[in-house]
Amino acid sequence: MGSRSSHAVIPDADSIRRETGFSQASLLRLHHRFRALDRNKKGYLSRMDLQQIGALAVNPLGDRIIESFFPDGSQQVDFPGFVRVLAHFRPVEDEDTETQDPKKPEPLNSRRNKLHYAFQLYDLDRDGKISRHEMLQVLRLMVGVEVTEEQLENIADRTVQEADEDGDGAVSFVEFTKSLEKMDVEQKMSIRILK
Amino acid sequence: MSHQVKGLKEEARGGMKGRARSGSPRTGDRLGRRSSSKQALKAEGTPGRRGAQRSQKERAGGSPSPGSPRRKQTGRRRHGEELGEQERSKAERTCQGRRKRDERASFKEQTAAPKKEKEIPRKEKLKRQKKPRSSSLASSASGGESLSEEELARILEQVEEKKKLIATMRSKPWPMAKKLTELREAQEFVEKYEGALGKGKGKRLYAYQMLMAKKWVKFKRDFDNFKTQCIPWEMKIKDIESHFGSSVASYFIFLRWMYGVNLVLFGLIFGLVIIPEVLMGMPYGSIPRKTVPRAEEEKAMDFSVLWDFEGYIKYSALFYGYYNNQRTIGWLRYRLPMAYFMVGVSVFGYSLMIVIRSMASNTQGSTGEGESDNFTFSFKMFTSWDYLIGNSETADNKYASITTSFKESIVDEQESNKEENIHLTRFLRVLANFLIICCLCGSGYLIYFVVKRSQQFSKMQNVSWYERNEVEIVMSLLGMFCPPLFETIALLENYHPRTGLKWQLGRIFALFLGNLYTFLLALMDDVHLKLANEETIKNITHWTLFNYYNSSGWNESVPRPPLHPADVPRGSCWETAVGIEFMRLTVSDMLVTYITILLGDFLRACFVRFMNYCWCWDLEAGFPSYAEFDISGNVLGLIFNQGMIWMGSFYAPGLVGINVLRLLTSMYFQCWAVMSSNVPHERVFKASRSNNFYMGLLLLVLFLSLLPVAYTIMSLPPSFDCGPFSGKNRMYDVLQETIENDFPTFLGKIFAFLANPGLIIPAILLMFLAIYYLNSVSKSLSQANAQLRKKIQALREVEKSHKSVKGKATARDSGYTPKSSSKNATQLQLTKEETTPPSASQSQAMDKKAQGPGTSNSASRTALPASGHLPISRPPGVGPDSGHTPSQTHLWRSASGKSAQRPPH
Repeated sequence: MGSRSSHAVIPDADSIRRETGFSQASLLRLHHRFRALDRNKKGYLSRMDLQQIGALAVNPLGDRIIESFFPDGSQQVDFPGFVRVLAHFRPVEDEDTETQDPKKPEPLNSRRNKLHYAFQLYDLDRDGKISRHEMLQVLRLMVGVEVTEEQLENIADRTVQEADEDGDGAVSFVEFTKSLEKMDVEQKMSIRILK
Repeated sequence: MSHQVKGLKEEARGGMKGRARSGSPRTGDRLGRRSSSKQALKAEGTPGRRGAQRSQKERAGGSPSPGSPRRKQTGRRRHGEELGEQERSKAERTCQGRRKRDERASFKEQTAAPKKEKEIPRKEKLKRQKKPRSSSLASSASGGESLSEEELARILEQVEEKKKLIATMRSKPWPMAKKLTELREAQEFVEKYEGALGKGKGKRLYAYQMLMAKKWVKFKRDFDNFKTQCIPWEMKIKDIESHFGSSVASYFIFLRWMYGVNLVLFGLIFGLVIIPEVLMGMPYGSIPRKTVPRAEEEKAMDFSVLWDFEGYIKYSALFYGYYNNQRTIGWLRYRLPMAYFMVGVSVFGYSLMIVIRSMASNTQGSTGEGESDNFTFSFKMFTSWDYLIGNSETADNKYASITTSFKESIVDEQESNKEENIHLTRFLRVLANFLIICCLCGSGYLIYFVVKRSQQFSKMQNVSWYERNEVEIVMSLLGMFCPPLFETIALLENYHPRTGLKWQLGRIFALFLGNLYTFLLALMDDVHLKLANEETIKNITHWTLFNYYNSSGWNESVPRPPLHPADVPRGSCWETAVGIEFMRLTVSDMLVTYITILLGDFLRACFVRFMNYCWCWDLEAGFPSYAEFDISGNVLGLIFNQGMIWMGSFYAPGLVGINVLRLLTSMYFQCWAVMSSNVPHERVFKASRSNNFYMGLLLLVLFLSLLPVAYTIMSLPPSFDCGPFSGKNRMYDVLQETIENDFPTFLGKIFAFLANPGLIIPAILLMFLAIYYLNSVSKSLSQANAQLRKKIQALREVEKSHKSVKGKATARDSGYTPKSSSKNATQLQLTKEETTPPSASQSQAMDKKAQGPGTSNSASRTALPASGHLPISRPPGVGPDSGHTPSQTHLWRSASGKSAQRPPH
């Protein structure tokens, strides 16, 4: 099977597992997927590779998601980086939260990190704030041309007005967290198969 | 106070150190064990290379318990051979087998410790029984692996972790109560699963349990999917909702609900009345009421006659007149007249019950869930896209639905923020209502006048076509012009479209009531006329039969054959006439609706769409444009149609069947029409998914349609020669008859006693009292609810304004704004220095790191909300190297109430 052959080539699987908390089997599965996406057997993924995924193509924020795989503007993502991003979507298990090792950093799939991942999708210039301008861009992506520009600005203004607590006209991560306080992020931002 | 805090802090630090100290060796142990066990388990699926690799690794890494995993591996490997590896493919088997044999040779010397050996076969057994199942479950080998081994390894891990938790519980910085609950939970967990891991029987049982649990979860998921698939037209309605908004969808949901109700009524009437009559009643042609009269026989099968529900259809089980007044029919001795009466009553009973019940459940649902309207836009902005969508069509729908939902909330928002001149609005609203009342009064008088005139016309001979059809013409003209007029007047009122729709519905409802009134009036006149003629016809029938049997000129020795049923003169049977009237009305209503949709919507859309290429102005944006879906008209049409069904179903049992067909076709037809030829409303507004206003109107119509039926049943004598109640004085006599003949006498006495006014009036009074009491209770409760909601809102506003004021102040000097929320302003001031958050650049750096100690700080800072509750159920994972204690003190302060108002520094 592919999983067996691929297992041999996962570089330092243990450290990845320790960092991301994935189980062996899902790591194997991810590696399998990684290699399927990597069409030229380069050993890394480029933006082109990710753009082939159909579900991302229809997603208005697809480009943002792809961008999130490439931190610091790099052009390629290797397997550990790939897994690290996907680790945000690992379901939160009870024992994760209860017996957290204080020495370890917060696991990647914690509520905070999940939210932070979502926040990054909206924070284009990565200044830690979602400005009104960035919001407008997202809105344009999401609703298309059917809503007038004026209304879009209206929406963006209202959103800022709702979420902004310190009056700087932008939504910071803290405010973002607060506005999504009632959201069941742990459950919504989890992919069941990634255990 | 500060002592306390410091103490706490120190304790926490110590605790953390302690935990770290005690934790580290155990962690190592755990890791080692985990890896060993996992490896051991993994080895089964892919024994060859991996095993070798791992053993090398172990040697290199110096695993804490050398030997044992290897032993396990050997055992398992051997077990693999014992199994004969039936599940695996042959090619794989040979290759693996070779590899295995090689390895076994090298490993065999290391096999030792017979005690441990004993354990292994047991595990093997388990494996053996698990393996085939898993392989059958998942087609791929990797899937199979993950099923069993993953699970076991995970459980082992969990148990270890729980044990560790128990050991380190003492030093955790938790409140006592939490410690206790955690401890209890952990102990329970360990007790439950420890046995499952090592020791034979428990393990097998556990494995079985896990398997079943997994299957159960999968089954539940599938079942849920199945359930949603089973909801009829759910996808269609969702589709419409995503394009046209919830207001249009609410009509279709209402239509679907109506269809369900009608299906039940259909089942009731068909199952208990029509089918028994068809199966066990006397056949067609046996008695006069079941035969087409001689005069009509020639034309009885013509389509034009059948189309008017005359001829053969009139003398069928679809109508009241066909039923015989025999007390019991068939070998079952089925009491058909009784059943007919009871079904007629229970149609109304069921409808009333279901309408009221759904109204009640709607109200409960709407008050039960406290909808949070605080962050509507943020929610829509950040969470509306469904990231699991992979289908482009679904994605299109999602786009549409996001757009509509944004539009809806814009409208809501605009309405709530509207700055208005209250006096002007009030004046305009009063004016609009005045105008509309004038319109309604005028049309009411017009209807009254026309009906009066038509009664005069009906007495005259040779009236013109217009005079004969005056009432219908006036009614349809009113129905055509009044709703747009109302809509125009309603523009004055400047209501929110949702409220506007309700007013519009109410006004058109009032107009339609006039329609209903004329119809019923005409019908009643007809009925009374027929009843007046009945006596003479009865005499004629008697005389005919008498003459037929006693006439001379017939050979006395041979008994005369009975008169053919078609030749017997009959009464006019007003019940069937009423039924036919309703039947015709329903069918013509249906046809008019469909033709209107076809012409008004579809053809118009086609015209606009295709003539736009060669027209002198823009048809799509300009005058004709596409039609909007007429919610109020459609809803009212549906409601009044249902009223017709309720009124008519007693006299035409087949009416409900027709209506079921009508609703079914109109569901598909209107869905298609709406998607193909309508455009969304200019102001899309949000309607609640189950609209109680529609239900209220429906209830009113139900009540109104109950009245004429109850009147005819209670105070008009049934026809003498048709229907199940013929020969009785009143229809409800069938009840008395049954009680007298079929029940023991004391029951009859009880019924008579219950019917005593002396008992009924107090019962009604009691009911009124109960209603009054419950009503006042619910009113006060809802008032309290509203007050609480207002309080929450106000609290939020206050908090927000505080923060923005303070934020602006700090923004001036530091260029950054702290988000620390606090219970009151003083605390906010005091904790200011302490909570100085990471600066913008710092936070940026942290973003890159994605998980730094500082970010977790700010998280815990945000997690201290003004409402005073702790939203995080777990302690924040603070890095030990961070040295950022403020966040912890912060947390504890909130945990220990307001004890610490001063910063610990």
